[in-house]
Amino acid sequence: MIYDVRHVTTYSYDAPVAFARCALRLLPRDDRHQRVLSADLGIKPLPAFRNERQDFFGNRVVDVSLETAHRQLRVEARSRVEVRRDEPALLRTSPAWEEVNRRAFGSPSLASSSPAHFVYPSRLAPLIDPITLYARQSFPAGAAIIDGATDLMHRMRADFLYDPKATVISTPILDAFVGRVGVCQDFAHIMIAGLRGLGLPAAYVSGYIRSVPAPGKERLEGADASHAWVSLWCGPEEGWIGFDPTNDMEVANEHVVVAIGRDYDDISPIHGILLGPGEQEIEVGVDVVPWPGVAA
Amino acid sequence: MGSLTLSRRNALASRGRGAEKRLAGWIAGYAGLPGVRDEFIAADGKPRPQWLHFLQALADLDAGEIARRFASADRHIRDMGISYRVYGETGERAWPLSHLPLLIGEDDWRQIAAGVEQRAELLETLLGDLYGEARLVLDGILPAAAVTGSVNFLRPLQGVKPPGGRHLHLYAADLGRGPDGRWWVLGDRAQAPSGAGYALENRLVLSRAMPLLYNEMNVERLAAFFQAFRAGLRGAASRSEPRICLLTPGPLSETYFEQAYLARYLGFLLVEGDDLLMRDGHVHVRTIAGLKRADVIWRRVDGDFTDPLDLNAASRLGVPGLTQALRDGNVVVANMPGCGVIEAPAFMSFMPSLSRRLMGEQLKLPNIATWWCGQSPERDEVIERLDQMAIAGAFRDAVPGFPSTTTLLGNELGTTDRARLIAAMRERGADYVGQEVVKLSTTPFWENGHLSPRPFTLRVFAAATPKGWRVMPGGFCRISDEQDARAFSMGEGVRSADVWILGDKPAEMVTLLPQSEAVKVRRLMGILPSRAADNLFWLGRYVERAEATLRLIRCLCGRSIETDSISRGTRPTVERLQRLLIAWGAVPKSQKHRSATAFASTALHQGENYGSAAALSREALRTASVIRERLSPDAWRLIVALEGRLDIADTELPSEVEAFERADQALRALAALSGLMHENINRIAGWRFLDMGRRIERGIATCRFARLFAAPEATADDLDVVLDLIDSQITYRSRYRSGVALAPARDMVVLDPYNPRSVAFQVAQIDAHLADLPILRDDGILETPRRMSTSLHSELAVTEAEELDKSRVLAIEQRIMRLADAVAARYFLQGPSATRRDKQPELA
Repeated sequence: MIYDVRHVTTYSYDAPVAFARCALRLLPRDDRHQRVLSADLGIKPLPAFRNERQDFFGNRVVDVSLETAHRQLRVEARSRVEVRRDEPALLRTSPAWEEVNRRAFGSPSLASSSPAHFVYPSRLAPLIDPITLYARQSFPAGAAIIDGATDLMHRMRADFLYDPKATVISTPILDAFVGRVGVCQDFAHIMIAGLRGLGLPAAYVSGYIRSVPAPGKERLEGADASHAWVSLWCGPEEGWIGFDPTNDMEVANEHVVVAIGRDYDDISPIHGILLGPGEQEIEVGVDVVPWPGVAA
Repeated sequence: MGSLTLSRRNALASRGRGAEKRLAGWIAGYAGLPGVRDEFIAADGKPRPQWLHFLQALADLDAGEIARRFASADRHIRDMGISYRVYGETGERAWPLSHLPLLIGEDDWRQIAAGVEQRAELLETLLGDLYGEARLVLDGILPAAAVTGSVNFLRPLQGVKPPGGRHLHLYAADLGRGPDGRWWVLGDRAQAPSGAGYALENRLVLSRAMPLLYNEMNVERLAAFFQAFRAGLRGAASRSEPRICLLTPGPLSETYFEQAYLARYLGFLLVEGDDLLMRDGHVHVRTIAGLKRADVIWRRVDGDFTDPLDLNAASRLGVPGLTQALRDGNVVVANMPGCGVIEAPAFMSFMPSLSRRLMGEQLKLPNIATWWCGQSPERDEVIERLDQMAIAGAFRDAVPGFPSTTTLLGNELGTTDRARLIAAMRERGADYVGQEVVKLSTTPFWENGHLSPRPFTLRVFAAATPKGWRVMPGGFCRISDEQDARAFSMGEGVRSADVWILGDKPAEMVTLLPQSEAVKVRRLMGILPSRAADNLFWLGRYVERAEATLRLIRCLCGRSIETDSISRGTRPTVERLQRLLIAWGAVPKSQKHRSATAFASTALHQGENYGSAAALSREALRTASVIRERLSPDAWRLIVALEGRLDIADTELPSEVEAFERADQALRALAALSGLMHENINRIAGWRFLDMGRRIERGIATCRFARLFAAPEATADDLDVVLDLIDSQITYRSRYRSGVALAPARDMVVLDPYNPRSVAFQVAQIDAHLADLPILRDDGILETPRRMSTSLHSELAVTEAEELDKSRVLAIEQRIMRLADAVAARYFLQGPSATRRDKQPELA
C-alpha cells in the first residue's frame, strides 16, 4: 500500500510570541516494513534556524527556532509512504513470555532497538500494581508471548470505552485505567505499563491509521487522526510486533509509523518552548489517503 | 608563635589537674557500641593516639572556655547565614555542625585518596564507554539492563563527545568504615555532588573556634584543592579567559547557600536556567550589556533537568537547546548531563570486574558487596541469603513496591512482605539489589560536655585537573543517630563535621589569593546578568517603598501623640495620611474608621496587605534571597532582621508611642541598610541598579507627597507633614527663618537639586547612573531610558515652583513610572530579539 499523508497543526496565540524553539517529530521513519518515498515539512512563519537530525531511537527530528514575533504557527507535514506488512504475525508460534522477560533483561546491546530500553517504567508509563495485575491475567505460566499480548489486546477492547472527551494528554494512566475509558494514547500507555510490569519490553509508536468511511459516505477532509499503538519485542527470532489495542488488531497495512519511543514524551510530534504571555489554541487536521493509481 | 605555646604551657601547668580530670571523665563516660569499631577507643579499651592528642589539647581549656568556643562557632554559623533546606520546607535551617572534627591519620588517608582517585578514573572510562561505543555491553561485561534502568541514563547524550574531553569534573564517593577498620565505598556521586562548599564552611568555623589546636595538629588545608578544581574547569574551556557559570536550581534548592557561597569563593557567575540562552549553537548569559558567551557551566541542576527541549520536558530549571550546544561541541558542562547514571546501586555489583577489565587492577577501595538481581544466579543468591541482606532499589531511591523505604533489612521482614518481595524479585529482579548489611564505625560527638559515639559517613571529593585527579584532603562528614544509615541526608538527627587529615609535618598554606604578578589589575569586573540587575533594581524599590510607608506611619503616630485627635486643623492632615496608606495598600479600605493605633499596627504588621511595611520587607527579603551572593553578609542580616521585626502578629494593640517607636526603629534599621548599600557596595553596574530602584521609588513617592500635602489648599500642618516625610525640616528652617510657606516648600520637595530627597535630585541620579551603564547601540544615539531621564532632568532644572500645580506634579510622577518601564525593557527583558546589537554603517 502507498499512502499520501498530510498532517497540519496550527497554533493560534492570544498575544504575539517573540521566540519559539521546537523539535518536530512529524516525518515518518523508514523501517523493515515501510519505505518513505517522499516527505517534507512546511513551517509558517519561516524559521530563523532549521536542522534535521535523528534522535536516539532513530526517529527523524527537525529542530527549528522562530525569532520573529508571530500570532500563528502552522506546521504542515506531507509524506508518501509505502507500507508492506505481508505476513500476519499473530498466529505464529512464539517463545514463552518468561523466556522473553529473561532475554530482554539479559540483552547484550545498548543499541536503540535493544529491548533493554523498554522494560523499565517511563514518565508516562509508570508501573502500577492494578495495571500489572490486569495484564497478568493474559499471561498464565508458560503462555506464548504473542498469545498473551493478543489476549490482553482483546480484553482491553472489550473492557475499555473509546471516548475522546474523557481524557487529555496529561491525564495519568491510572485515571484512564480506573475509568476504563480514553483514546489510543491512553490505551497504548496502559498496555505498555501492563506489559512492562511483567518485565516485557514494550514500545510506544506514533503514526497514522487509514480510516474507512461509513458505507455510502465520502471521506471527510482532515477527519483522520494521528494514532498510537504498542510494539512488543517477542524474542530474538520474532523481533518487534505491533499491537493496536484501540482497534484490537495487529499492526498491518493500514498503519503508517512515524516515530518510536518509550512513551509519548519521547516522541511528541511538536515539542517546543516558546516565549509569550498569552493562551494558545491548537487545531489539527490529518488526512491519510491511498495513493491514486494503486488498487485499494 | 613561641610565646603562644609558652603561655599555653603555663596555663597547662596551672590547670593541669583540671585538664587531666576532664580528659579522664570524657574517656570514662564514653560507652562504645558492642560489635562496632570506634574512632576514639580501640578494641582494647585504650584511646587511639590522635584522639588522645586532640582531647588532651581540648582539655587544657576549662569547661567554661570550651562552652564559649563552641557557642562562638554556633554564632558564627548563624551570623554567616550558613544554612540548608529540607526538601519541601519553605524556611532555611541553620547548619548543624558537630563541634568535634573527624580525625583521620595520614596512613589511612593515603589509602582513601588512592582509592577515590582510582575510582574516579574508572568511572570516567566507564562513562566514556556507555555514552560512546558501549563495548562493555557488547562484550557481555555489563548487561544493557543494568544501564537502561536508570532515569539518569540520558539517551539524547548517546554518541555526544563531551566538550572539554571528559564527562566527570567533580566526583565524590561516600565512604564508611567497617568493623575490621577498612574503608568501604557506600555510594558514588557523579551527578552534581554537593557538600564541598559546606566542608569549606565547616573548616572555617571550626578552625576559628580552635585556632591553636588546628595549627598544632598539622591539619591539611583545603584551598589548594579548590584552586586545582577551578584550574581544571578553566583548562577544559576552549578560550583562554573562559566565563564559568554555576548553574543553580535556585533559592529553593536544598543547598542553595552552598552554591552561592562556592560561586563567590571561586569567582564564578551564579546563574539560573533563565539567565542562559542557547543561540547559534552557543550558550550565552543574558546581561545588561547584551549576550555574553558562557564557556563552562558547572551544574547543580540534575542532568535530566538541564534541557526541557531534548531532555525532561517538565523542567523549568534548564536551558532549552543546551543539548544541541553540547552536540555542537561549544560548551563544557561539568559534569556532563548523564553522569548520574553511574550512581545507581546496580553498578556497584559490577565495579570489581569493571576495574579489572578497564584498569587492569583490583579496586583499591572496595565497595560494599552488592548483588544486582537482574541476573538469575545473583538473584537466587540474594533470595537464599535474604536474612543477611539489605535490599535496595537498583536504580531508584525507594525499594520498588515499598514506597518511601530506601532499604529493607531481610531479617526484619514480615512473612507477607517477604513473600511479596520475593515474588517481585522473580519477575522484575532488575529493579533490586541485595547488599551486605553495613555496620558503620562511630566517632565522638560532643553533647553538653560529654562525648558519645555516633556512626558517620564521609564524602570524599576528587576534581579533574590539568595534572590528573586531585582529592580534597578532608571531606564532608555526616554523623547520624541511626546505626544502619547507608547514605543519610541532612535532616532530623543528622549533623555535619569538619574532617581533619592529620599530617606529620606542618601543613602548607595556600589560599585562593592568586600570585600578584599573574593577575592584571582591573577596576571593573565581570558582567551583570539581566536577572540579577532586575532583582537588585526591585530590591532597591521594595526597600525604598518600605521606607516611605514607614515614614507615613511614623508621621501618623507622631500626629496622634502630639495633638488629641479632635483638635482643629490636624484632622484633615491625619485623614490625608490615612488615605495615602490605604491607596498604597498598607491598610484595607474597610478599616478607614479605626483608631490611629489600630491603623498604624495594620500598616506595620499585617503582611496580607500588599503595601504594609511587613509585606514590603518580606518582598525585599525574597528578592534579596535570589541575589544573595551579591550582598554582603551584613546587608543580608539587616534585611532578615527588618523582616523579622515587622512580621509579627499583635495580640493586643500597641499604644501610639509604641507604634511610633516600632516605625522609628524599623526606619533606623533601614538607615543602616542604606548606609551599607552606599558605602560597602562597589560602584559597578549592580549598585547602579540597586540605587536606581531606590531613586525611582523615592521620586514617585515624593511626587505623591507633594500632590497631597503641598497642594494649593495645603494647611500649615500639611506642609509640616511633607517636610517630615522627606526629612527636610532642618534644611527648611535653616534656609527660611519665617514659617512654612507653600512655594518654598514645593521647591524643596520637587525641584531643589541640592536636597537629596527632592524629585529633581532623584532624576539627576538616575540620569547619571544611566550614563554610566553599557550601551548596545554604536551609532551614538541615546538609548530610550537615557533619553527619558535626560529630558526630565532638564525640564525640572528650568521649572519654577509657582508652575507646580497638581497636574504638573502628576505628569512628572507618570514620567518617572514610564522611565522605570523603559529601564526594565532595555536591561531586564532580554529576549533574543532584544539583544541583537543595532549595527549601523560607519559614517565618519
